Amino acid sequence: MASTSITAARPALRDALVESGICLTVVAVVLLWMGPSLYRQDLVFLAATYALVALGMYLPFVLAGSLSMAYSAYAAIGAYAVAYLSVKQGLSPWWGWPAGMAIAAAVALVLAVATRKLSGFYLAAVTLLFAVAFEHWLGDATTITGGASGISGIPVPSLFGWEPPRYAQVLAAIVFVCVVAVFIDRLRRSAWGLALSAARENGPAVQSAGISPPHLTVVALAAGAAIAATGGALFTVSVQAVTPETFGLDLVFLAIFMPIIGGRGSAWGAPLGALIVVAVSLNMPGYQGSGELLLAGVVLAILLLAPGGVIGWTHSATARLISSRTRDRR
Amino acid sequence: MYSEGIREMTDPQLWLAGAEIGCFFALVALSIYLVVVGASFFNFAAGPYAMAAALLTGYAAAHWGVPILAGAVLGIAVAVAISLATEIVVVRPVQRRSGGAELPALVAVTATLFAIQQLAGTVFGRTPVSVRNLLPLPDFRVGSLSVQGSTATIILVTALVLPAVILWLRRTTTGQLLRAVGDNHEAARMIGVNVNRVRLWAFGLSGAIAGLAGIVFAAKSGAYFTSGLSWTLTGFLALVIGGTGTPWAPLIGGLALGWIQVFGSFYFGATGSSIAVFLVALVFFALRPEGLFQRKVRV
Repeated sequence: MASTSITAARPALRDALVESGICLTVVAVVLLWMGPSLYRQDLVFLAATYALVALGMYLPFVLAGSLSMAYSAYAAIGAYAVAYLSVKQGLSPWWGWPAGMAIAAAVALVLAVATRKLSGFYLAAVTLLFAVAFEHWLGDATTITGGASGISGIPVPSLFGWEPPRYAQVLAAIVFVCVVAVFIDRLRRSAWGLALSAARENGPAVQSAGISPPHLTVVALAAGAAIAATGGALFTVSVQAVTPETFGLDLVFLAIFMPIIGGRGSAWGAPLGALIVVAVSLNMPGYQGSGELLLAGVVLAILLLAPGGVIGWTHSATARLISSRTRDRR
Repeated sequence: MYSEGIREMTDPQLWLAGAEIGCFFALVALSIYLVVVGASFFNFAAGPYAMAAALLTGYAAAHWGVPILAGAVLGIAVAVAISLATEIVVVRPVQRRSGGAELPALVAVTATLFAIQQLAGTVFGRTPVSVRNLLPLPDFRVGSLSVQGSTATIILVTALVLPAVILWLRRTTTGQLLRAVGDNHEAARMIGVNVNRVRLWAFGLSGAIAGLAGIVFAAKSGAYFTSGLSWTLTGFLALVIGGTGTPWAPLIGGLALGWIQVFGSFYFGATGSSIAVFLVALVFFALRPEGLFQRKVRV
């Protein structure tokens, strides 16, 4: 009895060690890349926002295989919840975080139930139409959202009266993204995550095991929307304003590409892809827009040549290296 | 411009405006329809083909002094080339690797859409480009109805292209084989059909129709490097409303969607229009996912 509990505890301990190792490496590498540059601090904030939206999409898109493209709307809900409660209601901006998550999850739930029969192209098209209609609505509902000019002057959240300096905010953002990535990656390996991926591959088999695949997908969509909402909320810390155009359809496309670039085998592919997307599209020398073109080319090349993304490619490259070494030794 | 005064459901001017964008939606839907039938695959990149053709035509006229007809030929040729490249470079390898699964092809075509958009933005600039009317038609009046030359061109082109494509589908061997390949490409291959060639026809024709649609519609709306996505969406939606049962379905769906948009924005404003379009899509998906015209399957 005692021995089984020890062997069960050891992998858990090892997992935790590996995860904290990855987190520390990520924080260290990002801080090193950022340096003292204020511009790069903005870029890291943007990458963190992208990463959260991509992590939100990871559950339904990569695991459940249902491509909902309404994620720009969920990120906007997160940002507008913070903006509305703090600027228009005078509450602490912290209240906007759970409020935005709850509203985004509720909206995703309704949308998921309404579209539960759809998959593939149909789901993508309807959710895109929802995102378009929502953006129009944001520009129209002036009393809540401030109309086309949006809401500005959003206060930076404080901790018991202490207003953290910019560098601490960036650090907190990176740590937050790491925590969410660990959470999603654990979810991926959990029984629930396995059921979710199994339902993508073979719905009837999962159904016959007593699990309802549509139920799984709806929960994944709602949870993903809540995570994407934190991305929008985080963005208001960096840029203290939000407009209907802040989270456009481009964000949805980029969020689809991030796990593909980083690698779909692990939840860490999403933040890695976000960092690459920001570095390529915004930090490139050359004229405006060349970064996005390069990005589109990179995504197509990865899809066609290295479907595992950067993480998958690194894995297979190291595996090949190791196997060739062992062959040499023989 | 439109005449002043109270305009309502009875105003023929609004019906004409709806028919005009409806014809454009119908052409884009027809372009998507051909690939759906031939490759059972929704080509989301059809809108960007139309956008690329329109941008090239407008750009060639403005910067190289190419006459509109020659520019249109150039634009359509490029649309066909991109469409064929989509099939050969992206769709075929991805579908072969994934065993025909839907999601990988959808993701790949989404990346293609983004790539075409960014390439067009880089080459032709990220500002709207105006395109001249393809046919030298003057603005004219029919009774109280004022018809712009570009409107007449769109309707005329649709009236010519749609019957021609239907004739091609029904009268030529390749057209008849298209459905066989789309329904079951393994079976079609088994009985000796050159599946790849038939699919190339579907993609090529689809690109040509999309390019032509983009060029004639851009005379009205102008072309912008991100126009492609919304064009794809409306074409797709027209096909959802019409269904894929008959080649006439894109026209029916397109016209219905055109009138929904025009009257929706007339009565409820731009936001109301986009919400109405979204609700119509939801209603159709919930109640009649096969569209208005379903193909009768004989067993």
